[in-house]
Amino acid sequence: MPSENQSGMQCVECEGLLAEAIDGALHGSTLAAFEAHQQSCPACRTMVEEATAGLHWLEGLDEVEPPRHLVHNILAQTIGALPSEHAVVSPRGEGWLDKVKGRLAPIFAPVATPRFAMSFGMAFFSITLLLSIAGLHISDLRRLDLSSKGIARTYSSTQARVIRYYDNLRLVYEIESRVRDLRRVAAPEKQQPEEPAPKTQPKSDNRQDQDKNRTNQNYSRDASQPELAVSPAGNEPGMKNLTNQARLNRRTA
Amino acid sequence: MDDIQAVNALIRRCVTGDAAAWQEIVQQYHRRIYNICYRFSGSPEDAADLSQEVFIKMYRTLSTFDTTRASFMTWVTTVTRNLLVDHFRKGKYDRITDSLEATPGNQDDGLTLAEKLEDPSAGPEAGVRSQEAQTLVHKALRKLSPELREAVILRDLQDMDYKDIALVLKVPEGTVKSRINRGRTELARLLQRSYRQVS
Ligand SMILES: [Zn+2]
Repeated sequence: MPSENQSGMQCVECEGLLAEAIDGALHGSTLAAFEAHQQSCPACRTMVEEATAGLHWLEGLDEVEPPRHLVHNILAQTIGALPSEHAVVSPRGEGWLDKVKGRLAPIFAPVATPRFAMSFGMAFFSITLLLSIAGLHISDLRRLDLSSKGIARTYSSTQARVIRYYDNLRLVYEIESRVRDLRRVAAPEKQQPEEPAPKTQPKSDNRQDQDKNRTNQNYSRDASQPELAVSPAGNEPGMKNLTNQARLNRRTA
Repeated sequence: MDDIQAVNALIRRCVTGDAAAWQEIVQQYHRRIYNICYRFSGSPEDAADLSQEVFIKMYRTLSTFDTTRASFMTWVTTVTRNLLVDHFRKGKYDRITDSLEATPGNQDDGLTLAEKLEDPSAGPEAGVRSQEAQTLVHKALRKLSPELREAVILRDLQDMDYKDIALVLKVPEGTVKSRINRGRTELARLLQRSYRQVS
């Protein structure tokens, strides 16, 4: 193969102009010399054909859609917050879950992801609901060990299970609104803070029965062992704190 | 120039701790960054992990972005590319690449890949656009050396000009062009070879 032909252009030059030639950016005498070289140099002709084909293949690649939670995860890992306007619509402004997430963001910054926050929210919700069934009320929870360490321990044992059930934003928000309902019901009792928690009979209380039904739906758990839904390993230290405290409160009540 | 000014204003707000500005940046650039990572790494899971790392790095180093030296797009791409190179040099994301020949669709309807790519009734555009072709090209891309791969990704998938690619890759423009040429021709040869094997 000739390295130089009648057009006066060498293969090296031809190769140097290849990208621009494919872009259609060659004009005038340069273009004429490039084309003349193609006529007489099969190697460069092949090169142009292959490069054009390669470009054609690449241009056929469509842009792919990033995963749905990517923006959420990025924001959680950088500013530790959920996106405000692009989030799944939260019905009434700042939700209870958002407040919890906001408060926990600095503590859990290294591991905080929306999934983590939601999982935690759900773990907290589960505890709340189950303690409520067990005769306790939201207000009682303030006395429990809800320090970050205690929660982290409970969280780690709960996460795997919770993720499986709540890997769905809509469900989380639905449950969030149920939490709100629960709090609304619990609110009147909070107005008498000095009163010991009233003895409730979960079996005879209609609302509590409904709550228990929800629990069964959500956790697919045996009604006789509701605590297990929170922590499958009942001997987890964090969980023990909670259940012991729950028993203690039940006795004092 | 309005775009550049808007972006620079956004970055200034961001540097002063404006979370909404940062959110805007994430919204504007995550798609591009994810796509670069996806085409470079070959895997959607790795691409998601890498994209998150890119944004964490950007968030930490945003104040070092110099508006007078390069466009923000070039800076974002440079951060992404450096992180990719870093990770793949360490072998963190190296895995055995799937066989180019083991493409989905070979068994399901009796048509060979070659027949699908060269369907005479569909015309060449339909061939390139088909899902099988997309998978095939995506896998072929993964077989290029990282140097050629990044060059064609930035040029042919991200539509960057040679000057900006040269800034990102920190090589002369001539080298950029040569890598793009080689990337394209090598890709065409890989796909031609797989075509011959399935036919
Ligand atoms: Zn030649």
